[in-house]
Amino acid sequence: MINTVEKMYNEYGTSSGTYKVTNQDGTILWVPNDEANTDYQAIQEWAEIEGNNIIDNGA
Amino acid sequence: MAITRIGNIASTIPDDSIQNVKMSNIVQSKNIIINGDMSIAQRATSVTGNTAGGYTTVDRWNTILTTAGTYTISQSTDVPSGSGFANSMKFDCTTADASLAAGDNMRLQSKFEGQNLQYIKKGTSNAESLTASFWVKSVKTGIYILELEDKDNSRTISKSYTISSANTWEKKTVTFPGDTTGAFGNDNARSLDVMFWLAAGSNFTSGTLSTTWTSTTSANRAVGQVNLSDSTSNEWYITGVQLETGTTASEFEFLPVDVNLARCQRYFERTTAVGAGSNYVNFAAGVVQSSGNASYCFLWKTKKRANPTMSSTAASTFLNENGGSYPAGSSISFGQINTTSAQCDLASSSGLTQGNGALMKSNGTYNAYIDASSEL
Repeated sequence: MINTVEKMYNEYGTSSGTYKVTNQDGTILWVPNDEANTDYQAIQEWAEIEGNNIIDNGA
Repeated sequence: MAITRIGNIASTIPDDSIQNVKMSNIVQSKNIIINGDMSIAQRATSVTGNTAGGYTTVDRWNTILTTAGTYTISQSTDVPSGSGFANSMKFDCTTADASLAAGDNMRLQSKFEGQNLQYIKKGTSNAESLTASFWVKSVKTGIYILELEDKDNSRTISKSYTISSANTWEKKTVTFPGDTTGAFGNDNARSLDVMFWLAAGSNFTSGTLSTTWTSTTSANRAVGQVNLSDSTSNEWYITGVQLETGTTASEFEFLPVDVNLARCQRYFERTTAVGAGSNYVNFAAGVVQSSGNASYCFLWKTKKRANPTMSSTAASTFLNENGGSYPAGSSISFGQINTTSAQCDLASSSGLTQGNGALMKSNGTYNAYIDASSEL
């Protein structure tokens, strides 16, 4: 179960195309922006739930 | 003379002859199932206290476990005698659930890409029948359900098989007719699930078993299924799973371990120190980018189905060897993830010199690993 999702940036200040997912059990996943990736699909479903927001702190 | 061996067929071919060889059965495995002999288990060989299922031990086999007891799931060496198998997958019930609620269920599942299934011609008038064969053993005798689920068109078909003798290996064969409705997508997405039911609440058993391909109706999926979770005495073993076109089961197709591993690694690949002779194992070569961080490139041994999700043991289980220093990792992250590679950034609080070449190593532990997962 997803706890938080954070959009990641690379050393050049642009989106790395990766999300850092912290699950409720504390495990951390690095999920690419790829619609064929089932964890990315899970992020999209999670983000559609009222109150869930992807953290975007910028570069 | 040249000796050629293809699968279980060996033949002698004169050197001076010109051979026309039918290649179709060489490049295309007849077995849709991957790791049907349960020989590859990259994640672990045994997991205890499992209440939620998931990919736990044997590669490509996912357990769905929805409030239907607690299990130890393992790769076992208990196999049918004389069959040629070295491993099976074992489910050992450690906390029973003798009274399943309506939605409770337990299933062993394997999922397949549509682009690998075009040859079965599903959704056409020439749709192929599929025959499953497998070895199974359980102290819990009775009726079990094997189901195929078409995820593209929400269609299912279920067949029953019976475990007749307790604690005895039995070989089962189940044939499913071809489905002339609903083609599989020709892509890398999930199209077919093969499902061994092990427990099912009334949501899945209250109808009539769907023994022909039909639109999915939950109540018709697992009618008659025994409850493997009803006693802590229960165990269930399976190996030699093969699913092939046609109405008869052929001999199990044994693959070389490297071929089997590569097929699994399309979906999951673990880079690990486990099994190494040292607990300071090289994981990757890279460069120190700054006084606080080194970057490493991981190249996958097998191209992934999709850009994979990355995960790892804690940063402190790795170190950044550079210029004669060996600082432990303080944080770890991944980016630039694609089907052939990913970048790993391992930070250290000191001991890094910008511009140095670097080696990422396990930090005195056999347990360090980095996972790339593109499971369906």
